[in-house]
Amino acid sequence: MEIVWENTVIALIAIGILYFLLNKYAFGPLFSVMEKRRELVQQQLSEAAQTREQATAFVEEQKAALQQARKEAYDIIEQSKQTSSKQAAQMLEQAKDEASRLKDEAVRDIQNEKNRAVEQLRSEVGAVSVKIASKLIEKEVSEEGVQGELVDKYLKEVGGRS
Amino acid sequence: MHEAPVIELGGLHIDLSIILMLVVTCTIVFVIARLATRNLSVENPGKLQNFMEWATEFVQNLISSTMDLKKGKPFLSLAMTMIMFIFVANMLGLLFGVVTEYDDPAKATVFGQEITSVTKILTEEHAKHPGEEAHAEVAWWKSPTADLSVTMALALLVFVISHGLGMIRNTKNYFKHYVQPYPFFLPINIIEQLSKLLTHGVRLYANIFAGEVLISTIMTLAKASVVGAIFSVPLLMVWDGFSIFVGAIQAFVFVILMMVYISQNLETHEEEH
Repeated sequence: MEIVWENTVIALIAIGILYFLLNKYAFGPLFSVMEKRRELVQQQLSEAAQTREQATAFVEEQKAALQQARKEAYDIIEQSKQTSSKQAAQMLEQAKDEASRLKDEAVRDIQNEKNRAVEQLRSEVGAVSVKIASKLIEKEVSEEGVQGELVDKYLKEVGGRS
Repeated sequence: MHEAPVIELGGLHIDLSIILMLVVTCTIVFVIARLATRNLSVENPGKLQNFMEWATEFVQNLISSTMDLKKGKPFLSLAMTMIMFIFVANMLGLLFGVVTEYDDPAKATVFGQEITSVTKILTEEHAKHPGEEAHAEVAWWKSPTADLSVTMALALLVFVISHGLGMIRNTKNYFKHYVQPYPFFLPINIIEQLSKLLTHGVRLYANIFAGEVLISTIMTLAKASVVGAIFSVPLLMVWDGFSIFVGAIQAFVFVILMMVYISQNLETHEEEH
């Protein structure tokens, strides 16, 4: 087999043209697309990492907020418990006061009523006894005057003792 | 053996089959590459684009196995062109052959031009055995890489690129390397470089040419008799399969050696064995 130098030259030219064409129309665009895809993947990876970081931060935030809310709720419950017990005590106190007041009033009323009744009774008894006495001793004891006063005095003494 | 259809045009020997096959190979390679990169998409690559990207990554790995990928990036296009060209060229000879036969020197013409290689052989035959019928076969369709001129062109291209880059980018180390480890090694080193050029081209040529020779031999067997035809079918199947394997391997070997030679000449540290 001999080397025909014309063939060598032709082959070199053919390879050169092929290289030029492929570089310009096929490989150039292909490589740039591959490079773009590489960049895209890189970008998406970094984005994903960023998103994950954000999510973690968000969850942390949520946890803190939840903790805060829980604490607040506890505080509110505690406060309301305190308030209610205070209120209950107050109400009890009030009720006690009211009851004692009512009792006192009632006692006072009863006293008044009794006093009045006693007074009335006394006067009635006085009058009746005077009447009886006058009937019994018509002439000896007159209704007016010193005898009436005496009887009244006596009766008062009796009523005061009871 | 098959002859090459050579015509003389203005004092130049033009081998028509080589031109034809180079054009066919370049066209096929370009069409494949163009089809694969027709609808380029970043997010939704098609099947052919995927294939092409796989090939690119394969070549990238190949380059990065011989040198730093940053340094080797400019050679990616060249390596891709080489590997595709050589692979397609190796495959072409396996498909079929186009052979024309000539007995009469006067009839051996194409486009009105005399096929000088045929007429030369026919006249030589006539001179040797006058009175006998002379015969010449011309192969029009074959692997372009089954021709030493073409593979040497490829090897020469690699040689020029690697040594040119070595001289320009790595001047001091490149020239120092010739007198390593001692100045009297200079002729040995030069011979080494030249033998690299020679083996680079001849290795590819020999592998592909041998494959084609065996295929044409099997074809001759097929033509010889009915039994031969029956035997030739499995033989041809096996050998074609093996030739596809060899063709792929040789394309790979050629490109990886190309990258090795380039990286050797660009090396800044001395790591000669």
